[in-house]
Amino acid sequence: MNRPQLVALPGYADGAREEVLFCGHCGRAAAIDIAAPASRVCGRCELGLLIGAPADLSPASSDPFLLVDSTLSVCGMSALAEELLGVVETEAVNRHINELLVPADAEGSGPGDLVNLLVHAARGAGEIHDVVLRPTDEYGIRYWARIGPCGPPRAALMVLGDGSSIRRSS
Amino acid sequence: MRTLKTSEAAAVLNVSPNTLRAWERRFGYPKPQRTAGKHRLYTHGEVAALRDALQEGLSISSAISRARESLSADTSVLVGALQSFELDRADAAMEAALALRSVERSVEEVLLPSVNELGERHGFDSAPWAFAARWAGDWLQRAQRLAPPPMRPAAVLIGDATRDDLDPDALALRALQLFSVRSGARVLVLPVSGVAGLVDVLRAFEPQVVVVAGAEAADDAVARWAYRVRSTTGALQMTLFRRGRVERGRTAGRQLAESPGEAHRQILDLLDGRARHAPVRAHDEPTLMPRRRRANA
Repeated sequence: MNRPQLVALPGYADGAREEVLFCGHCGRAAAIDIAAPASRVCGRCELGLLIGAPADLSPASSDPFLLVDSTLSVCGMSALAEELLGVVETEAVNRHINELLVPADAEGSGPGDLVNLLVHAARGAGEIHDVVLRPTDEYGIRYWARIGPCGPPRAALMVLGDGSSIRRSS
Repeated sequence: MRTLKTSEAAAVLNVSPNTLRAWERRFGYPKPQRTAGKHRLYTHGEVAALRDALQEGLSISSAISRARESLSADTSVLVGALQSFELDRADAAMEAALALRSVERSVEEVLLPSVNELGERHGFDSAPWAFAARWAGDWLQRAQRLAPPPMRPAAVLIGDATRDDLDPDALALRALQLFSVRSGARVLVLPVSGVAGLVDVLRAFEPQVVVVAGAEAADDAVARWAYRVRSTTGALQMTLFRRGRVERGRTAGRQLAESPGEAHRQILDLLDGRARHAPVRAHDEPTLMPRRRRANA
């Protein structure tokens, strides 16, 4: 009888992924040495902290995005996300992500649901996932989102879009 | 309390002075005081709390939220001390608050909110409220004794229209008095019920600004007092602090902000002659409308 075997799955630590720094407010890439940034504050807009993320996840300056911690509280949002969701960052911070965004597919559950993806990403799990979301209490609007890890400190990065960037990357 | 100039605070946070000013505009934090020359002066405690929070924050907003939380710990300590009737602990909580803030901000951000919270919890006619209000009034008086002597040729007359020391507005009045004294002005507080001999006092004191504070005194008493003040001192700017809601056609005098700190700044502007006065009507008298009663007062 064949015994089940342990199989090493590809994980976050396996490949040295290229990381980039971007501003948590304006979303622009940091123009400083990633190894030794002089200050965590973005030198361009002065209103965001520099966050690291895998190059294939990091937002373009035209992408709205949110930062969510492992308790699923919003820790930050970009200026474009403020416009898109109609809420300013100072009011969004410390609110549960479900107060702003929920899965567009109400039936979806299991390992691929929004909560699991965010919690895993906020704990540093390296995979990047695509989900479809909608604003809470609103129907007919959908956002495609890429979710993956970012930091330090560890958190989940949720890059929102209309799907075109996701389709491009896939 | 240790304070920092803008460049020093910026150095502690490893940002530029412009960044600090941009944060103040967008987030209202760190909130500097102003020197006599209108330069910003940051409290070291606030800046240090923000520096620590920025190390672990994902955004400026979340870092500021965390820094504010760490500073608001003083309020919960003071509420706890007053709740358990421990005067020494209450004094210690205020000492801790003073290590991070100016006297004005300690009063506005820690003392008044803590005492008010107890009033809302137990009712403004309860024994715990009376205990807390008496302690707070005593603390404000002690702070006033430590204030420097009057340095500016400014005199503020406050007409006390509160019920007694346990009137919630009485603490705000004491805070306003303390702030004015600390800014170097001469301050005289007189009850609006006492008109006899008022003329002699006013001639000796020569006020430049008159404040009617509190909502408990009857309208007639306030009007009589205000008339006597005006007939002695001439056309002085009459201001109202926590007197009542403004109703069209019945309001007179300038309404000061509800916050003692903001009201104090408005009084300083009036004293400096920089305030932009609203058009004053010929028959203006202080409003006779008492402010809305608190539900549980």
